Amino acid sequence: MLSGFGDRGTGEVGETLDSLELTWLIAQVEQRYGVELELSDEVFAGMATVTGAVDTLARVLPGAQGHG
Amino acid sequence: MAGVDLPLVNEPAVNPEWVDDLLLGGPDATVRLRLDRPIDTAALRRSVALAGDRLRAEGLVAGGTVALRLPPSLTYIAFLLAAWRIGAQVSLLDHRLTQHEVDGALERIGAQYVVDALESKGHRLCGYAEVVARVSAREGGRPAGTAHALVQFSSGSTGASKVIARTSDDLIAELARYDRLPEFPRAGERVVLLSSIVHVLGLVGGLLNALHTGAELVFPRRLTAEGILAAVAESDLPTTIIGVPFHAELLTSIADPAPLPQLRRMIVAGELVRPSVPTRFRETFGVALGTMYGMTELGVIATDLDGTRWPSVEPTHGMDLRVSGGELWIAMPASPYLGAQDPSRFVDGWLCTKDAAELDAGLLTVLGRLDSQVSIGGLKVDLTEVEQAIAALPAVREAVVLYDGGIQAYLSLTDGATAEQVQAALTETLAPFKRPRRLVVLPALPRTTTGKVVRATAALVAAEAASR
Repeated sequence: MLSGFGDRGTGEVGETLDSLELTWLIAQVEQRYGVELELSDEVFAGMATVTGAVDTLARVLPGAQGHG
Repeated sequence: MAGVDLPLVNEPAVNPEWVDDLLLGGPDATVRLRLDRPIDTAALRRSVALAGDRLRAEGLVAGGTVALRLPPSLTYIAFLLAAWRIGAQVSLLDHRLTQHEVDGALERIGAQYVVDALESKGHRLCGYAEVVARVSAREGGRPAGTAHALVQFSSGSTGASKVIARTSDDLIAELARYDRLPEFPRAGERVVLLSSIVHVLGLVGGLLNALHTGAELVFPRRLTAEGILAAVAESDLPTTIIGVPFHAELLTSIADPAPLPQLRRMIVAGELVRPSVPTRFRETFGVALGTMYGMTELGVIATDLDGTRWPSVEPTHGMDLRVSGGELWIAMPASPYLGAQDPSRFVDGWLCTKDAAELDAGLLTVLGRLDSQVSIGGLKVDLTEVEQAIAALPAVREAVVLYDGGIQAYLSLTDGATAEQVQAALTETLAPFKRPRRLVVLPALPRTTTGKVVRATAALVAAEAASR
């Protein structure tokens, strides 16, 4: 999903997410799953890395596992 | 810059009437701003008056200095206009800067007062915040040494920020340039603003132009693609979206957006637009992606609001441009820089932009930077500043910072130090948008045969691969 930002290869996406990447990711997740994420500081803090973002999204998006 | 008189140095900042005359006029009940609620002219004037009372109560007078360190909010707008009405010089500090960066900036400008947020509500992707402001006096603060009304900071190549100052006459002249652009939003229209109102595009092109023309200024509740389009859809009035190229890419990532007949165009500035984006934007929304070229030093310089000249832009009224040795130069009556400055930036009445450009039949094409400045989501970052901040850390032996799809830092560490220590230290010294997306730790940085650190991306990538 993140590789769509700047048309990168998936291998070019680093582990740490900056705020633009995070904004991009949230927009894509909301669009794909038709949800509005609760954007608390806690959610943001959890999404600073790709691994953290996957965990956080799995928690806030019930049933989303396996589709990302 | 025709028609702008140079103010005298050491005078109180401005003729403060310009705020009431040009920004706070209009019928009481007209909605001017839309944050969490609509703010009409009367309510905006009340907020400005209250902020003015608080600044005066602390002791701010004409010719005094105040720094604002606030997120985008009604509070920020009220204190900015209030301080200008008093005739003070206002410095704007991005609320995302670290305390370390703020301390450095305040030290340099010697502000007498600081307005910051005691409390701030609003999530990270909200276009505005609810702020409880605190006004504090600073020990050792100085009154304004110049008649400038506005002081802004830009990432600098010498490690410290550039301090850029503008007079109220200069801001008024920029508003007049916007007035001459028929495609730019005005009364009876709306602007959905995505750019920061601390920086020149969002401040003058967004906030001040909307206040000046009577266009309604909308700060979206959510700065996501859906949130931005929802803000457009809330009214039938013709609407222009103003943002940075990142926002245009974000919007074009939506597969099948609902038709938005009220969307007039989107206008972006702050960095170059990638070639595929204008076409994709028009295909997705059926309207133009316009572009603008501007600088903190001058405001808007050239535009292509209909997207018909891309990648070129047409100089705005009164701009005197030339290209010297491949670099764009712009005529200015006086240097825009305060304090210590790089003498190569302003030469004999010309601002040397460090932008590589071509001028052909009156049209300007900006090709890229001639120095180490890059743009991260429209915010300027000088890689030299980032490199110096990293190299100055006790954990770091040497560092090279370059831009390759994002800010990348290649570094070697002192004995026993870890990358995590570097990461933690950088959160104290550099604002989030200046921090490297990637820290690559190498045993040693590659060097040329003469011993200089290699700065070529390919060589550093090879060194990284070899170290694995």
